[in-house]
Amino acid sequence: MSNPIEVDGLKKSYGGLEAVKGVDFEVCAGEVFGLLGPNGAGKTTTVEILEGLRPRSGGRVSVLGCDPGVQTRELKDRVGVCLQSTRLQDKLKVKEAIEVFAALYTRNVDTTQLLKRLQLWEKREAHYSTLSGGQKQRLALALALLNDPQVLFLDEPSSGLDPQARLEIHQLVQDLRAEKRTILLTTHYIEEAEKLCDRVAIVDEGRIIALGTPREIQERTLANSTIEIDCELPVPAGDLPAWQHADKISLDERRTKISVVSTRPARTIVEMVKWLDEAGIELADIHIKRPSLEEAFIELTGKSLRE
Amino acid sequence: MRAYLALFRSNMRLTARDRGVLFFNYLFPLIFFFAFAEMFHASTGQGIAYFVGTVLTMGILGNGLWGAGMRSVQDREANILRRFKVTPISPLPILIASMASGLLLYLPVIALIAGLAHVIYAMPLPQHWISLVLMASLGVCAFRAIGSILAAVTNTMAEANILIQLLYMPMLFLSGTTIPSSVLPTWAQTVAEFMPATYLVTGFQGIFFRNQSLLGNLDNVVAVGALLLTTVLGLFLAVKLFRWEKEEKIAPRNRLWVAGVLAPFLIMGCWRSYTKEHIGQNEAIMRDLARSGTFLIRNTRIFLGDGTVKENGTVLVHDGKIVDVFDGAGPDAGKLRADVIEGSGKTLLPGLIDVHVHVSSPGGVWDSSDDYQVDKAIARDDAALLYSGITAARSTGDGLDASLKLRGLIEKGNKLGAQLFVCGPMFTAEGGHGTEFVQYAPKFVQDQVREQLVRIPKTAEEARQQVDDLKKRGVDGIKAILESGFGQSMLYTRMDVGLFQAVAGEARAQNLPLAVHTGDSRDVTDAVDAGAASVEHGSWRDSIPDAVLAKMAHDGIYLDPTLAVAQAYSQYFAGKADALDNSLVQQTVTTNLLTATRNFVSAGKGVDPAKAAIFAKAFAQSKENLLRAWKAGVPLAMGTDAGNPLVFPGPSMHQELKLWVEAGIPAAVALQAATANGAKLLRQGDHIGGIRKGMDANLLLVDGNPLQDIGATERISLVVFKGERLDRPGLFDQK
Repeated sequence: MSNPIEVDGLKKSYGGLEAVKGVDFEVCAGEVFGLLGPNGAGKTTTVEILEGLRPRSGGRVSVLGCDPGVQTRELKDRVGVCLQSTRLQDKLKVKEAIEVFAALYTRNVDTTQLLKRLQLWEKREAHYSTLSGGQKQRLALALALLNDPQVLFLDEPSSGLDPQARLEIHQLVQDLRAEKRTILLTTHYIEEAEKLCDRVAIVDEGRIIALGTPREIQERTLANSTIEIDCELPVPAGDLPAWQHADKISLDERRTKISVVSTRPARTIVEMVKWLDEAGIELADIHIKRPSLEEAFIELTGKSLRE
Repeated sequence: MRAYLALFRSNMRLTARDRGVLFFNYLFPLIFFFAFAEMFHASTGQGIAYFVGTVLTMGILGNGLWGAGMRSVQDREANILRRFKVTPISPLPILIASMASGLLLYLPVIALIAGLAHVIYAMPLPQHWISLVLMASLGVCAFRAIGSILAAVTNTMAEANILIQLLYMPMLFLSGTTIPSSVLPTWAQTVAEFMPATYLVTGFQGIFFRNQSLLGNLDNVVAVGALLLTTVLGLFLAVKLFRWEKEEKIAPRNRLWVAGVLAPFLIMGCWRSYTKEHIGQNEAIMRDLARSGTFLIRNTRIFLGDGTVKENGTVLVHDGKIVDVFDGAGPDAGKLRADVIEGSGKTLLPGLIDVHVHVSSPGGVWDSSDDYQVDKAIARDDAALLYSGITAARSTGDGLDASLKLRGLIEKGNKLGAQLFVCGPMFTAEGGHGTEFVQYAPKFVQDQVREQLVRIPKTAEEARQQVDDLKKRGVDGIKAILESGFGQSMLYTRMDVGLFQAVAGEARAQNLPLAVHTGDSRDVTDAVDAGAASVEHGSWRDSIPDAVLAKMAHDGIYLDPTLAVAQAYSQYFAGKADALDNSLVQQTVTTNLLTATRNFVSAGKGVDPAKAAIFAKAFAQSKENLLRAWKAGVPLAMGTDAGNPLVFPGPSMHQELKLWVEAGIPAAVALQAATANGAKLLRQGDHIGGIRKGMDANLLLVDGNPLQDIGATERISLVVFKGERLDRPGLFDQK
């Protein structure tokens, strides 16, 4: 059986500008898949092609077995979409928005339960313009869930929200995952991808430059873990030994703090501790700093996400 | 269907929460409603029924162009539509729901405006209310379709604003929505023919003001078709060009689609500019409006037209008719919502009726016939008649096409002039009187002029056929000539009596009153024997025998002595231009013609002593015949033969009145001939020629008392024609 989302050699150009330059991935059933990348990387374009909003310039795409460029309406009826920014009429009430959008789908969930679940029940009589950012985003998610979709597209679902609201959205996504829904989300927040996604594709300048679980991506990067050991007493004068897998071995001026970079930190630590013990030096503390996805990203793309 | 309903409900809710929408749909038309009520004197006339339609149109313009146009641009610009793009719907439900909610929002406006007009200004509710709702609904749909297209082809609010203004403003000001079209220059009225709003305005006016149904009037049917087509075209293109996101831009060339949607009206505009059929339509509607007022002419002497005089009375006029005649000051004007015209010291007469005019000739002598254009000349002459208080006239021998055309224009209210009764061409013999006018025309148009001006049957069968043909053309009567001429040089071939009798018989069979030009008592006798309706001129050469007068009295055959023309010829051939010194002549005749005529006559160019003597005798003879006829009980009607030299259409009627009194006819009898009797001769006795309940409000108010001083009829204070108080100087170019 094929995957709910399959993308093969997807290309999209606007005039002479190539926004997506051949992207391949698939999203498995029940998986949360993240497209991570800076603004302008081509994430939204990719998602909107999958949603049936734009035609593609090349490649093969399938969502729930439909070609979004051909069976557009059927596809739209079956997927849920939360746009990067959703805007409704200022004087439309929450429950009216739910009512009007529900009427556009052939299949509906119980709207009362949906509103309660998204903590919008108390706000059902409120005008759209009076909602907070988090409430608006929850409403956008509610609209995406009206047709009980098995595939959800969430484009930057927590972008621009305060930390509390962001956490709420994260919890919702995790709940949706628990319901075995297939989710494709885009984000430029590393921690969001690390926290929510089963697999991540790092997108830059219209290409996927890395794809895997967050852990795999971290491990595939050349960046290594840094081990820092604080000692009770200064290390005696003389060179430190060349521990296995260790590199960039250094001591601070007081000779109490040893710092090394290791490609296999577990192995290196054992050797270091053994050596210190033999030297009769008490350990005060040990830190292991693992490379983050962010560092992996910087290393992969040569640029920061937040710029 | 569920999607349509949900979108519609949502639109209705949002609309109800939008103050701007409520303002444009309800308050804005209301402001104009009350302003127009003031401007059109809604309290004393039918003005209300005229402008209710313009107020409704204004609401439709706002609802469509701004409501549908601007709103969809707003929703797209705010990226609200974008959210709908990810749902499984096409643009159609969005557009249809918008149209339906706009329509539902608008329908109460009709009830509101019509209700207010009914309650406050006593406007009768329209009988064809289904037509009204249909017309309004189509208007809303068509304008919302246009609005949708404007939204579809513009990229930003600013662009949409400009484009909408470009359509809204001209339609607001040129289509009759705010400024009555009739006051606009012709070019602007022509431009308006290309605008859908114009057709709404006239459609509504038809429904409210003329009580038309939508499908009972061809113009409205065509307009309905065009509105429908615009709606369908507009919707189709709006779906095709629909954009969900502000990021999607449209090329400027797509703006041409607006023209596509308006195409039905562009085609209609072209057609109408080409045919020019509807030019003057606006004047006609304003005419009806001007005729719709309510007023009292109060405390005045009234010559009722039935031979009696009310020394102090009041006449109530409403909607073109005489509603009632009261003794003394009459009812309270305030309660009747009536204007008041104080008539103390004045005399009110029925509008005068000249039963013998030739409106296609001016009564003067031109320097050159190059200045002559028949349509202009007869319209001017007919306006001069009205100016002078002659509200109806029988054309006894004029170009058929031109006089029928003018009659139609006057009937519809496109032109102001005396109500015309047309005989068209004159039946005569080859070389008979009437044919000499054909010879005056340039050679190359002589055949045409002959066709227009005379009928010369060769057989009885042909005579009958010619009468039948004229009947089919819609003439009001038949004119025939029995004349063998005067003296040495004015001799004519007299029409064969057998042929003449054939004409007379067929005219009677076709129910067309026959007017017979007669020159002597033999002619009169033949005319009377053949059963003519009127004897024109009578006998200028001998006394009409008593037996013939008795038969005329018995058979009810009218004598129309046309003293004015006999007198005028006697002066013309004597080189006397006294007629030109008359004030009314100077008021009605163009300066050019007046000068040319004075120069010609004074220079002695027309002088012919022999003819002068003949006509002096004819004048005396006809006065004598008139007096004897009156004494014999012959019914009398009054005509002037205006159009002959020095017999000017209009003033000559007053001259005729004076001459009758000079001849010994009592003023009341002369006035009776000039009003009620003329109406009876024209078979219009129930409508014109009298002042009583239900008759057309054709009235002449003069200073003084013509019953004592017949010259008072020339001192005109007011002329009312079909209920309109005429602006007399505005009747013709004051040049």
